[in-house]
Parts: sequence; C-alpha cells; structure tokens
Amino acid sequence: MLKVENLHKSYQVGKNTYEVLKGVSLEVKKGEFVAVMGPSGSGKTTLLNCISCYIPAGSGSIRLGDTELARLDEDSLAEIRNQKLGFVFQDFLLLDGLTVRQNILLPSIIGGLVTDLVERRADQLCEVFGISGIQDKYPAEISGGEKQRTAVARALINHPLLILADEPTGNLDSKSTRTVIRSFEQAKDSLEATIFMVTHDSYAASFCDRVVILRDGVVWRALEKNAEDREHFQDRLLDSIREMGRE
Amino acid sequence: MRHFSEVYALLRRKNRKQYALLSGCCFFSVLLITAYVCMMRAPTILNVLPEGGDSRKQVMMIFVLAVVGCGVFTTYAAGLFFRQKSREMGIFLALGASRRQVRREMFRELGVISFGSCITGAVLGGPLAWGLWQIFRLCVVDTEEMRLTFAPNAYTLSLAFSVFVIVMMFVLGGRSVKKTNIIDIVQESHKSEPIRDVPRWYGFAGIALLVLGGGGGYLIPTFFVTGLHWYPPGWVEALFYLPMLAGLYMILLHTVVNGWNSKKKLYKDLIATSQMRFQGRQTVRNMLVMTLLIAGAYFGSFYTPMMGTGSIISYDARPADYVYNFRADQNLPLEDEVRAMAEQYGVSITDFAAAPMIRLAVDGEDHVEVDGPMGTTWHTEYREEMASELFLSASGYEILTGEHLDLRSGELRGVLDMEESRLGFRPEAGLVTNYLTKERLVSETLDPLHYDSLFGRFVISDADFAVLSQGLTDEWKETQVCFNVENCEETYDFAKALFNEIVDRSTIDVAQFDGWDPVVREQYIAKEGRYFLDREHCAEEGFTCIDYEQRDSSAFRMSWQYMPQFRILDKVDFVKTTAVFLILFVFIAIVCFAAVIVIAYTRCMTIALTNAKVYDDLRHLGASNVYLRRSVQGQVKRVFFTPAFTGTVLIYAFYVMIMYFNGNPPGITFSEAAGLLASLMVIAAVSALLYAVFRLTLRNVCKALQIR
Repeated sequence: MLKVENLHKSYQVGKNTYEVLKGVSLEVKKGEFVAVMGPSGSGKTTLLNCISCYIPAGSGSIRLGDTELARLDEDSLAEIRNQKLGFVFQDFLLLDGLTVRQNILLPSIIGGLVTDLVERRADQLCEVFGISGIQDKYPAEISGGEKQRTAVARALINHPLLILADEPTGNLDSKSTRTVIRSFEQAKDSLEATIFMVTHDSYAASFCDRVVILRDGVVWRALEKNAEDREHFQDRLLDSIREMGRE
Repeated sequence: MRHFSEVYALLRRKNRKQYALLSGCCFFSVLLITAYVCMMRAPTILNVLPEGGDSRKQVMMIFVLAVVGCGVFTTYAAGLFFRQKSREMGIFLALGASRRQVRREMFRELGVISFGSCITGAVLGGPLAWGLWQIFRLCVVDTEEMRLTFAPNAYTLSLAFSVFVIVMMFVLGGRSVKKTNIIDIVQESHKSEPIRDVPRWYGFAGIALLVLGGGGGYLIPTFFVTGLHWYPPGWVEALFYLPMLAGLYMILLHTVVNGWNSKKKLYKDLIATSQMRFQGRQTVRNMLVMTLLIAGAYFGSFYTPMMGTGSIISYDARPADYVYNFRADQNLPLEDEVRAMAEQYGVSITDFAAAPMIRLAVDGEDHVEVDGPMGTTWHTEYREEMASELFLSASGYEILTGEHLDLRSGELRGVLDMEESRLGFRPEAGLVTNYLTKERLVSETLDPLHYDSLFGRFVISDADFAVLSQGLTDEWKETQVCFNVENCEETYDFAKALFNEIVDRSTIDVAQFDGWDPVVREQYIAKEGRYFLDREHCAEEGFTCIDYEQRDSSAFRMSWQYMPQFRILDKVDFVKTTAVFLILFVFIAIVCFAAVIVIAYTRCMTIALTNAKVYDDLRHLGASNVYLRRSVQGQVKRVFFTPAFTGTVLIYAFYVMIMYFNGNPPGITFSEAAGLLASLMVIAAVSALLYAVFRLTLRNVCKALQIR
C-alpha cells in the first residue's frame, strides 16, 4: 500500500542545513493501522508531510500503491491528495463557515465527485461515527472530539487508500481520545481503511497493529502488536521509549 | 452544495466582514483619490492656483502623500485579507484542490471585489467632491467663482490608481496561492513579522536627525541661494530633507521596538512592547505613512488659521478705515463725491485726506539669473533706474497720517507696516529719477516710517517733490486717499458701493497685475520685446489677468494693482475672496485624516487578529481582563499616538521655523504668533477627533479579543 525507501529530507536555516530524515524506510500494508512515535525532532511530522506531499522529499522513494509520489507534477499530487489520501490533523482544520456535513463532503466537492451516492455515504459516515445529530451544526458549536470525528469522516469520504493522521488526539481530553481512536478502529474494521498515524500518545499508539519508533531521523525500532492485548502492548511501547531515553 | 464555487460563495457569506473590509478599503481609497483629483484638476481650482506657484506645489505634494497613504493601506488591507483567507486556501489544498482550481475561484472573487469597489469609488468620487464643495458653498460662502466644474481628464489619475489597486490585488492573490508549501499556508495566520534588535540610542539619534534634516533642508538651500548665489535643483534641496525621513523612521522603530519608558517600567509594558516588537516591520511602515499623512493634513489645515488670523489682524491694524489710490488719468471719486455717496448710505465720514503721489524710478541692485552647467546662478547688477516706486511729499504724508516730518532736500524715508514685513519692498534708494525728464535726486535714506496703509511708499521733502514732479504726465501721477468713518463695522454697503464705483470708473489702462511696473516694462521691452506682466501676456505666464467683471474673485482682489483697502469690505469678504484656497486645503486635510484613521483602524484590528492566540494564552495563565485591556491599550495607543504626536510636533515645529526665518530680520510677528495659536486650536480639535477614533478602535479590538 505505502512503501517508503531510504527517504532523506533536509531543511536550510540561514547558512545551516539540518538533516531531519536520514534514510527512513518503512512499509504499510492494506488495512493496517500503523503509528509512528518518537521524541520531538525525531522527524515524525516531516515524514508525514513528505508522504502527504505537502513538502517535497529530498531523496528516496515514496510509493502509494503503484504510484511513485516523488515523480508527480503538482496537479497529479493534488489529485492523489484528493482521491487516494485522507487527512486528519491535530487542529482538525475544519472550515468554520461550513456545517459538519458540508465539511465531510468537502473533499468530494473539491474533486467534483458529489452525487446522491456520495451524499448518502456522508450520512452513513455520520452514523458510523455518531455525529448524525450534529451534522447541521458548525464547528464552533461542537466539542473537540466531535470535531475530530468529523475530520475522520471527511478523511474517508472519497474512499482513500490511506488515511494520514497527524497527532489526531493531541488536542483532546481522554474521553474524546478514546472516541476518536474508536473511530479509527471502526474505519479500519468496517470500512477497510489503512491508517498511518503520527502520535506522541502511547495510549493512542497502543491501539495500532504496529508502531514505528523514530529517533534522530532514522527508524530506531518497529514493534508489532500481533495477538497481544492493548495494555501489554502499551507497556512494551513505554519500555521501548524508556530504553531509547537511556541510550 | 455540490460545486467548489458554491463552497466559496458560502464561505464568502460567512466571512462577509473580511470581504467588507477589503472592499471598503479599496472603495474608500479610490473614492478619496478620485475626489481629490477631481478637486485638484477642476478648472475652478486651477484658475486660482497659479501654475508653478507654491500653492499648486503644496497641493501636488500632499496629493502624492495621499496616493502613497491610500496605496499602502489598500495593499495592507489586501495582505490582511489574504492572510485571513490563507487557512481556507491551505485546507482546500491539503484536501486535494489544485492551485489552478483555488486561483480560479479567488480571481473570480477578486474581480468582483476590485472592479466593483474601484468602479463604485471612481463613480462616487466626483459627486463626493461636488457634494462637499456644495456644503461649503451652502455653509461658508457662495460666489460665482465657487461654481465647481470638473475636467474629464482628472479621471485619468483616478483610473491609474484604480489599475494599481486591481493589479496589486491580483498579484498579491496570485502570490498567496502560489506559495509552494501547504504547511506554510496553513500556518500563515500565525506568522509574525520580526525585526532586528534596535539599539536604544536610535530614539535620540532619530530626534537629532529629524531636527538636522528639518533645519538643514530649509536653511542649507537658503544658504545656497543667499550665500553661494546658486539655485540648487529641486532634488538637491530634497536631499537635505532626507535625514528627516531617516530620523522619523528611527524614532518610530525605537518607539515600536523599545518604547520610551525606562527599563524600570519594562515589566509593566512587557506584553505590549513584546507584541509590538514582533509586529514591527509592517507597523513601523504604517506608522511612517500615518506620520507623513498627519503632517500633510496639518499642513493643509494650518493654511486657513494662519491666513485667516494674519489677515484679520492686519485689517484691524490698519490706521485708516478706507484707503485707495488711483492714477491721475483716472476719473475716480474724490471727497465731494465720496461724502455724497456716504450720505446716501447714512455713513458719517469723520476725516478725509487726499494727497498727491508721483511715480519715480529708483536705483538698486538688480537680481540677474544666469543658466549654466551647474543650474541657475545669480548675481546683482547695479542699475540707476531699476524699478519705480510711489513717492509722497512730507506735507502729503502729514495730511494723510497727521505725522509731521522734517525732511531736508536729498533725504528720503520708506514706509513700512508695523510688523516690518518688508515683503517685496526695500525702503532704501540712493538715486531717484523722473523717468520722463531724467531729472535726478541723489538721496540719503533715513530710518523707515511705519504706517500700514501706506506700506511701500517713499516720502521726500516738499521741495524735491515739486522738482521731480515737473514734466510727469498723468500716468506717472497718482492720488492717495485715506478716510475714517463712524461705526466702520456697519458700513459694508457703502464700502461695497464705493468699491464698485472705483472699479466701474477705472479704465482698462489700469487693469494691471499688482507687480506691473512701467520702468521694468521699458527694460523688458528693450531687451526681449515683450513684458510678461502686460495684459496680453500675463495669463500665459501664469499670472492673473485682471478682469473687472471678476471683481469679487480672490484672484482679482489679491492681484489688482489698485485694489482699495476698505477694512469692513476686506473683513466681511475675506472668506469669500479666499474661499477656494480655504476649501481646497480643508478638503485635503479631510482626505488625509480619513486615510490616517482607516490605516490606524485596520492596523489595530490586525494586531487583534494576530495576537488572538497570545491573549488566549495569557488568559490561561490567569491574566485579568484589566491586565489584558491595559496591554491592548498599550499597543493601540502606540499605533495612534506615536504618528499623531510625531506628525503634529514635526509639522508645527516646521511651520514655526518657516515663520521665524521668513522674517527679515528673522523673528515671529504678532500676526504670525496669532496664526500659530489658532493652528494650535486646530490641533486640539483634530486631536480630540483622533482620540474619539482611538477609543472606538480600542473598544472594537477588545471586543474582537473577547476582553470585557
């Protein structure tokens, strides 16, 4: 589904060059729920931004399905973002002037894909994520958890190959965090969505099938959940993080 | 809602305040510029502002300032709009909209906003100018010369400004869509504008440069002219004013970045100072434009009080109520006729005096200008017959003034006004000549006399007067009349009737511009074959052509060589005769102050928008509403008061300097001091208005930041 190979990315600040990603390689399979963790400055957000095509990669390869993203022109990238990727941001990035339902439909409207079927899908997504009762409300009138569930529904409206989530629970309380993570699980289980999530939160990461830990721009360790229960997986995650801190 | 354009339309409705602000700024700037241009290029105005004259230059200078000001605030409003839109655009792009798609929708919107507001502003600018003018006519004065007509070519400048606004909006809009990094676009509204550290000495160095530039810009070119006999080109003069601009920038920079409070108060103003520091670049630029606009606006505003107060004082200072003179070949009313006319109007003449005058040539140093590779230089050449002046005999002077003079043959005295203004008159002559017979008198100049109504005359002994009068024709002889009346303030009708009688009975031979001189004329005719002040040439040379039909116009009353000085007529008709000037400068002041208010308001609202997150954080840290309000007030106060204070002090000090150095010897006369005092009252009134706008802005900023 997603294959990142030997990805490098540097930033130029004045005369200094900072290499943020130093050859990251990873793979996400269809229907997988993968988290990327790591301390601040480890390169998680940069990795996500490169995969999202928000910033150009320095070198290396990013393949989504059969498409090499690094070689696409601007219009094709826009099409990929619109039809093959879904996005969930820490700040939700909902448009305040649109209702919940209109926000969910926005990727389809941008793509010129709105049909009766798509509208029914929006209603269905509202039902799945428990936001049918607020679909005519504006973002300012709903809670943080509801906003993020709206964002998840929006990310799914165009049947994307991959959902990219940047700290989706960063601005939420524990109750809303649980609800949003449940939304991802629902998306994965009911809608066969593939999810790639960047997070600091070991609790949120413990729901994933696999957690990739980055340090100083390289993959430090990858942990698989397998059949393990969530609590034990979270303990293992925390142990790894502690271990990384000691090194 | 299925189409992208419908999303745009919906968001437009939701964010109508942003659209209203941008459209309003574009509309307002084009409206002001169009109104200004309509006024500036109106034949009504051009007729009274001589080409190449100082007034026209001032009007043009302030126009350039207004264009810069309006251009800056429109650009700024557009920048603010795109920053507000950047989040929206970022989300569209993040969700897969192509830049082409976003640009297409944005350009469609910009087309409607820019063309709509520019066309509306341009269409309404003319009526606004006309409407304001009509209000002035209705409330202040209404004369024939006040009929305002517009020149169609005025719209060329308005069109040029509109094109600038439209192009600027599309360029900025295109640029904001073109930004390659979506992350930057999403975060654009949180970006600040940092500036480098500013040393604390910038403030005082700025003041020093300001004083140096103001003084140097005015005095050094004067030194070039008087000391080096060189007229420097305009750009050289402008060069010496440059330190002023640099000084102004440094003062504003210091105010924004460091503030003027001592370090002890640092923590009290910490938030306001820090926030301003990170809004620096744009704020300082805005404040600089505001300062210049305020200075320009006051420059226009001071014109009326300076001119009005000076004139009213000079009318009151006249020792005689009624003064006029006329050439001997003119059949104008003398004592019997004037008394009969006075009786008709129930006016009682208390004393009536008339004395003969003669026009004689005087010697002097002629000012000769030579064009060379370095520009224009000048030198003086002594001429025995340089120009002509009017001469009274000592006894004639006594008849008119009641003052007895003991003058011996060969002695002469010039007459100055009480303030010794000496404008256009040098009360000295070493050689006096009868221009027709060439009879000469070598003279010794004694101390000048002081009598306002006879300013510019010479007095010689009766014997010399008799000798030099011999052989003069009527064109070289005149009669000077002075008389007083009872209850002068109630004699306007009589004054008007006598004025009309004088004008009606004057022939075309004396319909001359004030500076027309028969001796100078002969020299010009001999040298160049024409005299620029002759009736047939004066209009093309930019001087007023005297037309008796236009006797109530400002041009006529200020320029006719034989214009009577009737105290009540001049006083009552002052506003009428100077109305065009007064209204033009008041109009300019309105335009400039309006621009200042819009810039200050939009800047402060931007501060609210940019700092919203900071104020949220402060609230979370436990800051009270009183604290937050004080912090907001600190910033809004700087945006309003720094340019207002700097601009006001700057232009007032500049005015005082001009007044001081204009005198000969340098000094400030009583009427100038009174004018400056009246200007202070204008400053007080305008400051009160700015304070009201400041309070309103502060309230709106606090409301936007949800500070109670």
